[in-house]
Parts: sequence; C-alpha cells; structure tokens
Amino acid sequence: MNTVLFLLLAFPLTGALILALTGRFLSQRAVQTVACASVIAAFILALTAFLLSGHSAQTVNLGLWFAAGSFHVDIDLYYDSLSALMTLIVTFVSSLVHIYSTAYMRAEGDNVRYFCFLNLFVFAMLVIATAGNLVFIYLGWEIVGLCSYSLIGFWYSKPGTADAGRKAFIATRLADVAFGTAIALCWTDLNQLSVAGINDGASSLSSGTAAMIGFLLLFAAIGKSAQLPLSIWLPDAMAGPTPVSALIHAATMVTAGVYLLMRFFPVIQCSQTVLLAISLVGVMTVCFGAFSALVQRDIKRILAYSTISQVGYMFLALGAQDLAGSMFHLITHAFFKALLFLGAGCIIKALHEEHDIFRMSGLRKRLPLMFWLFMAGTLSLGAFPLTGGFFSKDRILLSVFLQPDIHFRILWVIASIAAMITPLYAFRMFFVIFYGKPEADSNKNAPIQDLMTITLWPLAILSIFAGFINFPLNWGGSLWLDGFLQTIPGAAAETHPSSQLEWTMQAGFALMTLTMVILAWVLYSREQESDELSGTPMTEAFQRFFLNGFYLDHFYQERIVIPYRNLSVFLWKKVDEGLIDDGLDRKAVFFMKLAERLRLWTTGQISDYVSFLVAGFVMILGCLTALWWFK
Amino acid sequence: MSIPFAHMLFLATLLFVMGAVCAMTRRNLIMILIGVEIMLNASGIAFVAGSMRWQEFQGQVMTLFVMTAAAAEIAVALALIVCVQRRTGSINANRYNLLKG
Repeated sequence: MNTVLFLLLAFPLTGALILALTGRFLSQRAVQTVACASVIAAFILALTAFLLSGHSAQTVNLGLWFAAGSFHVDIDLYYDSLSALMTLIVTFVSSLVHIYSTAYMRAEGDNVRYFCFLNLFVFAMLVIATAGNLVFIYLGWEIVGLCSYSLIGFWYSKPGTADAGRKAFIATRLADVAFGTAIALCWTDLNQLSVAGINDGASSLSSGTAAMIGFLLLFAAIGKSAQLPLSIWLPDAMAGPTPVSALIHAATMVTAGVYLLMRFFPVIQCSQTVLLAISLVGVMTVCFGAFSALVQRDIKRILAYSTISQVGYMFLALGAQDLAGSMFHLITHAFFKALLFLGAGCIIKALHEEHDIFRMSGLRKRLPLMFWLFMAGTLSLGAFPLTGGFFSKDRILLSVFLQPDIHFRILWVIASIAAMITPLYAFRMFFVIFYGKPEADSNKNAPIQDLMTITLWPLAILSIFAGFINFPLNWGGSLWLDGFLQTIPGAAAETHPSSQLEWTMQAGFALMTLTMVILAWVLYSREQESDELSGTPMTEAFQRFFLNGFYLDHFYQERIVIPYRNLSVFLWKKVDEGLIDDGLDRKAVFFMKLAERLRLWTTGQISDYVSFLVAGFVMILGCLTALWWFK
Repeated sequence: MSIPFAHMLFLATLLFVMGAVCAMTRRNLIMILIGVEIMLNASGIAFVAGSMRWQEFQGQVMTLFVMTAAAAEIAVALALIVCVQRRTGSINANRYNLLKG
C-alpha cells in the first residue's frame, strides 16, 4: 500500500521531470506517450489504492522534508476515503484530458512545455489530495497555482493571454496569503501541522481561533475555487487551450478549494459563523455564476461561469454540513464539466476556432456525434431528471432545506431560484449551438479526430449515470457515497428525511427543470442572429450587467487597481523622487558648497598652517584658562 | 632665590610668543626654524623654572630631553632644507605649496 501511494505521486512527477530535462530531444509522439503513460499509470495506481484501502485512514511517512528546532515537516501522506475519491477523479479526468490533448495539440507547437506542465499539474493535485500535513498541502497548492499560470498563458504571444495567466496567478496568490496565515495559526495554537492532528485537536481550540482558522481556510478556498469575490480570474482563464480549461475547471484546480475545506471539516464545524459564511459565499456565487452564464456569447465563458456557479453549490453543501453531498456534486460536476469542455474543444476545432455560440447554429446535422455527447453533458449540468447532476444538486438543496437554522431557509429559496436558471442557460447554449438554421458553408468544418471523441464517451456515460454512486433512499438506493465517506471526521450521518419529503422535493425540482428546458426551447431553438431576448432598455441594462460578470472586473479596476496605481505614482513621484531623492540631492549640494568654502583654508603655505596651529593652541589654552578661572 | 618665579615664567612666555610670531610670519625657512628653536628653549626655561620652584628635578630632566630632541630636529630639518633648496633653488616657504587643496 505504501509503495502504491508513493508511486502514485512519483509517476506524474517523473513524467514532468523527464519532459522538462530531456523533452527537447524527444519526438512529439514520444513526448505525448511519456505524458499519457505517467498519468494513466497514476490512474491505475489510484484505482489499486482505492481497492486495497479499508475504511480506516492510512498514513505513510516518506521521510523528513525539513526541520528547524521543534518545527519539522515530513513528506507524509494521509490516505482516507476522501483522498481515495479525489485521487480517483483527478487521475481519471486527467488521463482522459491527456489522451484528448495528444490529438488536440498535435498541430500546435511546444508540446513539451504543455505536457510537462500538465503532468506537474496532476502531481500537484495529487499532493493536495494525499498530503498528510499542511505545509505539504501548501506545496501542492502553490505548484497548482504555478501550473495554472503557465497553462492559461500557454499561447503567451496572443494578446491578452499572458495577462489572463497573471490575473489567475495574482487572484489565487491573494488567497494563498490566507492559507499561509492559517498554517501559522495552526502551528501556534495547536502545535500541529498534520491533517489528522489538526482535525483531532479542533475541539480543543477556542471558538475565536477556530473561527479565525475557518475564515482563513475559507478565503484560501475562495481564491482557488473562484468564488465571490475572487471569481474574476476564471472567465479570463479561458484564454488557455481548451483541454487545460477542462482540467482546471473539472477535475483539479477549482475543486482544490472545496477539497481543502472538506479536509479540515472538523475545524470548520467548530464555528457556526464560518459555516454560515461558507454557505453565503456559495449561494451568492451560485446566483452570480448562473445569471452571468445566462447572457454570455462565448461558449467557453458560459462554461466558465457555470463552473463558478456549480462550485458554489459545493460550498453551499459544505456550509449545510453535508460533506458527502458536496463530494457527490464534485464528482458529477467533474464528469459533466470535463465532458462539456472537451466537447466544446471539439466544436471549436471543427469550426476553425469559432467561440461565439450565435455563429454556430444548426450543428445538429453537421456534428451528429457531438450533438449526442454534448447533450449528455448539458442534461447533467441542467440537472435534468435522472441524470447525475439532478441527484447531486437535489441532494444539496435537500440538505440545505433540512438545516434547522432559519437562515438556511432563505438560502434554500435563493439556491432553488438559481437552480432554475441553470437549465435555462445550459439549454440556451445547447439549443443555440445545435438547432436553428445551419450555416450555408456547412461542409467547411474541419474534421474532428477520433481520439478526441473517444475520450468523451466514458465521460458522457458517467455524467448520465453518476447518480448511481449515491442513489437516494426513496429510489431504493443505498447511499453508497455517504457510507463510504462515513469515516471522514465531521461527515456525520445526517438525519434522513422522510421519503415523502424527498419525493416532493425531487418532483418539484424535476418539474422546475422541465419547465425551464421548455422555456429555453421556446426562446432559443429558433434561428436567430444574436441574443434577441431583450427589447426594453431596462432588460438591455440587465443583460449588459450580467454579460460583464456584474461589472466585478470593472469594480476592482476602479476601486482597487486604479487607486493603488495612483498611490504608487504618488509614492514614486512625490515621496521617493520628491522627498527622499530630492532631500538627499539638496543635502549633497549643501555639503558641496560647504566644502568649496572650507577648501580655501588649505592654502598650501606652511606659514599659514603654522598660524592655524598656533591659533588652535591658543584657543585650547584660552578655554582651559576660562574653565580654571570660573571654576 | 633672587629671581621670582613669575619673572621666569614671563620671560618664557615672551620668548615663546616671539618664537611663534617668528615662525608664523617669516618666509625664510631658516628663520622659521630659528623661531621653532626659540619656542623650544622658551619651554625649557619654563621647565627649569618649575623645577626650581618646586625643588623637583624632573623639570631639568625634561629640559635635557627637549634639548636632545631639538638637536635631532635641527639636524633633520637642516638636511631637509638643503634637499629642497637643491630641488627648487629657493628657501622661501611660499614656494612650497604643493599641499594646496
């Protein structure tokens, strides 16, 4: 078991190292083979570990990393059912993304850099999933940030791409500060850095410290998971290659934040305020993402905003103390979002880099295979009854509803409204892309390589059927996921609702979704040139508001970036150049003038020097005399 | 003792000031050297006077030291003067202004 876990981390890292050191001497095919092989091997190992592991958590110590006095950090792994699921999802989705990438990137240059960072990304994500102490998690956390930066900015010569990478880096870096502080707090207050130790010691924390650590972890998670108010980097991250978007949005980066909160769930549970804050962030982000996705035109931006919104549901579930529900949605989301992104990549390739959904109409005839695959993803995203997304989202809403606190009822209402928007924007995207009048030059689409579509099949099947891993009780299911995650600290078995309530919720939810799908059909299935939903200035204003992501970027630009730059310019021009530099200059000029005067004294005449000597001697004598006289 | 202590000190001071003025105002190196010698001897008189006044012999010993130092100084200084006279052809102190800043 120890070997399996060690190899699980070692394979992607070795792959990345091989590519980094010898990649330039390898052919493109060799590079792709190394990258894929290492990740697929990691997937097989993750599967082995999953099958071998019992219900109890295992720790593996791989040696000392560094030590300073009593502070020492090990390279240790902590493998429990949570990490088992996470490693499985990460390696599964990344294996598919790697295989997909071999076809996607074949025509692009610089495969070595791409696959090296992709492997490193998988390694870092596995570190986050299995690391046994906070500092080791932090290492993975930072490598993920680095890889996302370089992968988003992969086509750095394209205008704006490098900026998008930098934006992602800076936004997540802001959250990393909170994470670092949380680590320091854990060390000073608990004298513990190991995951198990912190979770065991959580109950001994004072409520203030627990809330503090909880809020810091929440902020760290907000940055990585692109929740409000740090969600701005995710839509811009679409500048990267599409498989990268799939990897970041589906399997890895954005779920890292959610996973961090799950990891330290006992700490978070200590404070009711933190729980409420998490659900509040979740609900606000759900609405923000849903409304923004409703009016976007770029297919990748729609998917990006929908990711922000769906991750918000995971936060909401965590806030409602439903860890299993959150994990359930994480899994289904990983499947359908990876499917949608990879599918979008196929469509974009087929249409020669066309991103605007309103210029894609009528693809049902042109890309029949994509139609069915994309439909699977859309159904699951839109929580169409009986798909994976339906069960996971229903579960989250039910958990929120069951919370005794009155605040959660309000959150439940808002989340339900947002859940109505989700099918609307999902099917708006779907109908606009695949229905309507086909373009005249319909035979001009580039061929999609078989390898790309093959990888979509397992994802499509899983998006539809992922609900079976946690089939609700009233359907005769056994809640396998709940049982599997029971050993995770904090994942206490929730009070099971009556089956009547469950049926009512599901029926209402299904009805709502169907209505929205029909509404989307009515609004968007006709042929249309552009988004003609609006008529009055009022709705147009709203549309522009949503299209720009609630002007959040604008807000940061106006309130933070520009004032900060003005402050910097002030400090530069006035304080640095004006005060410090100028002050020093003036001082120097003063001494130079003084020196000019003093220079005149050095006449070079010996007699003058003797005179000065005598004068000084007389002065000293005079002083001594005066002292003696007046004593 | 017939000569009062104050008189001897007055003589020493007078000689010292005259020597200093000589050293400061004259431009001839020899004359400057003579001024310095007079100052040294003035200090010798002050030492001897002190020695007589307090009936201690250290003052006289110090005078012997001063005379020895003065003899050595004169020897070196005269050698230097000869040297610079050869180099510049003059013993006017105003000609030696290489130290001017």
